[in-house]
Amino acid sequence: MTTPSAPRLNPLHLLAAFGTGGLLTLMVHFNGELGRYGNALFSSWAAHGTGTVAALLLLAVLYPWRARNAGAKPHAPLWAYLGGISGAITVMLTSFAVNSPLALSGTLALGLAGQVIFSIVADRWGLFGLPMRRPDRRDLAAMVLILAGSALIILFGRGNA
Amino acid sequence: MTLPILFACLAGVLVGVSRQVNGRLSLSTSPLIASFWNHIVGFVALSILGLSIGGLIPEGAADAPWHAYLGGSIGVVFVAAGSWLIARIGAVNTALLVIGGQMVSGVALDLLQGVSAGLLASVLGVALILAGMALTQRRR
Repeated sequence: MTTPSAPRLNPLHLLAAFGTGGLLTLMVHFNGELGRYGNALFSSWAAHGTGTVAALLLLAVLYPWRARNAGAKPHAPLWAYLGGISGAITVMLTSFAVNSPLALSGTLALGLAGQVIFSIVADRWGLFGLPMRRPDRRDLAAMVLILAGSALIILFGRGNA
Repeated sequence: MTLPILFACLAGVLVGVSRQVNGRLSLSTSPLIASFWNHIVGFVALSILGLSIGGLIPEGAADAPWHAYLGGSIGVVFVAAGSWLIARIGAVNTALLVIGGQMVSGVALDLLQGVSAGLLASVLGVALILAGMALTQRRR
């Protein structure tokens, strides 16, 4: 599953990803509020618990539609079920880093760097069984612009002036 | 100081790892099922951690307004969307666009709440992000 010269991306997919970032802002906002009443561990624990219930409800509502579209799919390896462990560790690392001299802005900026570097490696070698992708020069230029803009906002914009 | 830096970077890497792993699971199941497993496995892991170090349910928790508990349900859609997208546009595009969307909506949220600190840097940042997105989308 290699895509040597990446095909033109579907603009709807890009918009969906951009909108997903908006969901993340809302999520961080609410979870942060819960964390202020309790603590970071409680906030993440409660979010995972209510999320589990919400996912079950959604699956129940969408079941008739899913049953119609069910087809033969490749078997999932056991490790593919463990993405939640990675998320749980992230919570602990982040709450430690936020309470260090790095503060929120430093933690966000370094986390962004870690995430982007990992995603480049993941695409290059198709890590964890997903398709390989190679970026072209325009992708790299877009990356520089988006990262520069994000760094400006994190370090000099939101709540840090 | 080295340890916090290492932890902050590693946290970012793990965000990528979980999206990649959930994306793989969604190929075999569906994005929503992948999101369900992500949440229940995380819930069990955090329960074990909280029960072993204590303080899982702090005193102030009961005072939190109901809407503070909405984050988890939003997270279900967030994880499902990420799992669906990563198989279609790849890890780099997913990461960059989600980050871009988070930054731009964060600035919008600040403005709605009347926070205008660092406005110039924020507006400049939003402009750079939108330019980057436009570049991804230009015809090759």
